[in-house]
Amino acid sequence: MQEREAILTIRDLSAAYEDTAVLCDVDLEVKKGEVLCIVGESGSGKSTLIRTICADPQITVTGGEICYQETKLTGMNKRERQKMLGTRIGMIQQNPWGAFNPIRRIDVQFKETFQSHGICFDPEKCKDIFSVLGLKDAGKILKMRPYELSGGMSQRIAIAAAFALEPELLLCDEITSALDVTTAMAVTDQLLELKETLGTTIVPVTHNLGMAKCIADRIAIMYRGRIVECEETDEILRCPKHEYTKRLLQDVPRLKVV
Amino acid sequence: MKKKQRLKIRIIIMSVLVLLLLLLTTGAGWFAPNDPYATSAAAIRTAPCTEYPFGTDNLGRCVCSRVLYGGRTTIAATFFLVAVSFGIGTFIGMLCGYFGGALDRILMRIADIVLAFPQMVVAIAVAGILGGGLSGAMVALGITMWVSFARLARSHTFVLKNEAFIKAALFAGKSHIYILCVHILPNLLAPVLTNALTQIGTTMIGLSGLSFLGLGVVPPVTEWGSMISEARAYIQIAPWAVLFPALATIMTIILFNYLGDVIMDYREV
Amino acid sequence: MIQKALKRAAGFVVILLILSLCVFALLYAAPGDPAEKRLTAQGVAVTKEVLDAERERLGLLKPFFVRYGEWLFSVIRGDFGVSFKDDMPVGPKLFQGLKNTLILTVSSLALSLVLSFVLSVFSVLRKDKITDHLVRVLSFISNALPNFLISVLLMYLLCIRWKLFPVIAKGDLQGLFMPVISLSIPMTGRFIRQMRAEFLNQMSQDYVTGMRARGVKMRYIMFNVIRNALGHIFTIVALQIGTLMGGSVVIETIFRWPGIGKLVMDSITARDYPVIMGFVIIMGSIYVIINQISDLLGHALDPRGAEE
Repeated sequence: MQEREAILTIRDLSAAYEDTAVLCDVDLEVKKGEVLCIVGESGSGKSTLIRTICADPQITVTGGEICYQETKLTGMNKRERQKMLGTRIGMIQQNPWGAFNPIRRIDVQFKETFQSHGICFDPEKCKDIFSVLGLKDAGKILKMRPYELSGGMSQRIAIAAAFALEPELLLCDEITSALDVTTAMAVTDQLLELKETLGTTIVPVTHNLGMAKCIADRIAIMYRGRIVECEETDEILRCPKHEYTKRLLQDVPRLKVV
Repeated sequence: MKKKQRLKIRIIIMSVLVLLLLLLTTGAGWFAPNDPYATSAAAIRTAPCTEYPFGTDNLGRCVCSRVLYGGRTTIAATFFLVAVSFGIGTFIGMLCGYFGGALDRILMRIADIVLAFPQMVVAIAVAGILGGGLSGAMVALGITMWVSFARLARSHTFVLKNEAFIKAALFAGKSHIYILCVHILPNLLAPVLTNALTQIGTTMIGLSGLSFLGLGVVPPVTEWGSMISEARAYIQIAPWAVLFPALATIMTIILFNYLGDVIMDYREV
Repeated sequence: MIQKALKRAAGFVVILLILSLCVFALLYAAPGDPAEKRLTAQGVAVTKEVLDAERERLGLLKPFFVRYGEWLFSVIRGDFGVSFKDDMPVGPKLFQGLKNTLILTVSSLALSLVLSFVLSVFSVLRKDKITDHLVRVLSFISNALPNFLISVLLMYLLCIRWKLFPVIAKGDLQGLFMPVISLSIPMTGRFIRQMRAEFLNQMSQDYVTGMRARGVKMRYIMFNVIRNALGHIFTIVALQIGTLMGGSVVIETIFRWPGIGKLVMDSITARDYPVIMGFVIIMGSIYVIINQISDLLGHALDPRGAEE
């Protein structure tokens, strides 16, 4: 694989929730157009890493920096960051109800999202994306409120919202955990198709090494707030270097090591 | 962790201040420069000076001594009222939560009804009907106060009741009374006591308000609310007779409210 | 739907019946004799015969439930019985007082709501900055101030020290200023604390993270936060109405505002039972109605969990 330019560079990043340090000295480079899977157990800080990139106000960056292409994200002012998030860096959360206000209509919220980026809201386009994600009756869904929907539906709508903004980099935090297997596959396929057609760079976070193996170009292993290993998928599966990665591989008995 | 440490220090400082306040007012007999009830025709409405640090009132009584003695009345009455409501409320709440059934339904229905009354309106009417006096004012406020304790104790007992260690104690043949006293009470004490602490400020405002209206303590007993009410008439000539008890009231309420807030924060962290 | 409304109405009537019965029983059992008070006030020499005759005339010798029944009937008629003090029907006096009290309380409530809303939104937007700290300290202090104290201090500063206002309020706009401020300050403090906490609670919800991550503009996010907090804010306000009513009694007495609170304070010393009962029942109904409305509004604003 030829060397591609980096879309996201993280250097020596340390971050904390209030007083508890979660990330320490994270170094990571995401290359344009690739799928880089971050794998780790619960509490390893993988979700925090993603939230830090999106500048969650509950997290304080205590050291290091994050750069998106040439722009430095850490220490950026709110206004510029708001413009950047969504259209350039997209994120989908693990909690299926986490994307939208549960008690307001979905079309209104889509509209607010588009207006924030100065894009005109086009219901037809949304309906197209909805149907691609297996959501039938898009017109009706748009008139509903998230609390009336099932977890799987909410999750797909959240994914649709992220897709609709066509970001260059898409961060996905365990997005398939609320979905049944068939839908999960469809969503994953959709992610990969997005990568093919628009060249979107995708960073999925998962604890499932099996899934990572299927979709990732590269895999980064996270353990206790650090990236312990980051290699090509084949490489990492064939000869894991770090102790933790080896343990992780043993814990996935179904996985056929190539 | 740093935050917890910071809160801990604040709690200690506040507790020391509260203790100091309690010491000052309970020991009013030693600290007061003059007799709070001694009138003096020669020293009517004297401005603050060395003999009378806070000045004197309309009857030549020492405001400083009266503030100290008055604090004793206010604080003691507040503590007593909160303690009694705490006791009754916790007891009822524990019984309701533990035994459930008809008893729970009836008592909680009563609590709902009491909660549907506007508290201060009832307190003013009741205190007025009972004809003034500190005990009347305390009854008037107490009618509605026990409810919050009962509800809190009930919900905690409800959770505790289903814990494994309570089940184990039951199987071991312990009596209900034993379980309530030894296992449940100590475990719900912390949240209910915190609630008691946050109630002190409100109770103090309520009590001194009633006294101010003339529905609380009866003169010549000193109390901050009634001192302010009395001295209000001649505030143009002797503002100190109003300002010092007012300052004492504000500071005391702020102190207790802040302590309550900090302890709540500490328990949440 | 109709069944629900009926159930609520029944609950409302039951609560008011219990409240009035309790206060009536208390009046029945309490020390102090209205007949004696009235006679002394008129300067009549109190002898056993005169006293008994007066008691008979005021209907104090009838059995408890007959008296309660008569009183209930007078409430339904709308005149709330006859005053023990001057034999006039109590109803018109109560409603005249209520009108003035409503002018006072509604304007204080409006002022408090506007102030606290603006300040708490401001404080949340600037969380942990100087403005936030300032708002928090101020709201904490004003929450701790009893309103009788505020009014006395205000009176001292504004009327006596700086001579900006007359000491005794008249029923005009200028006279309204000081009572409204005195009532508003502690209430504003309380509202700010609770609103700020609720806004922060909403801000920490996942949907806000989601919106931020989509790059939704701050003003839309704030709109969503406020929208979702509304239900809770209505509850907070409804619960404060009770405190506001009590506070208005104090404030009306201090500023001699001719409201229902001043009326009842004058009646308490005279043991004018019908006025006291009327006060309790009117304030009680207003409080219960407002809380029912806020409950309904809460459900309408946040339909989650309304299906039970």
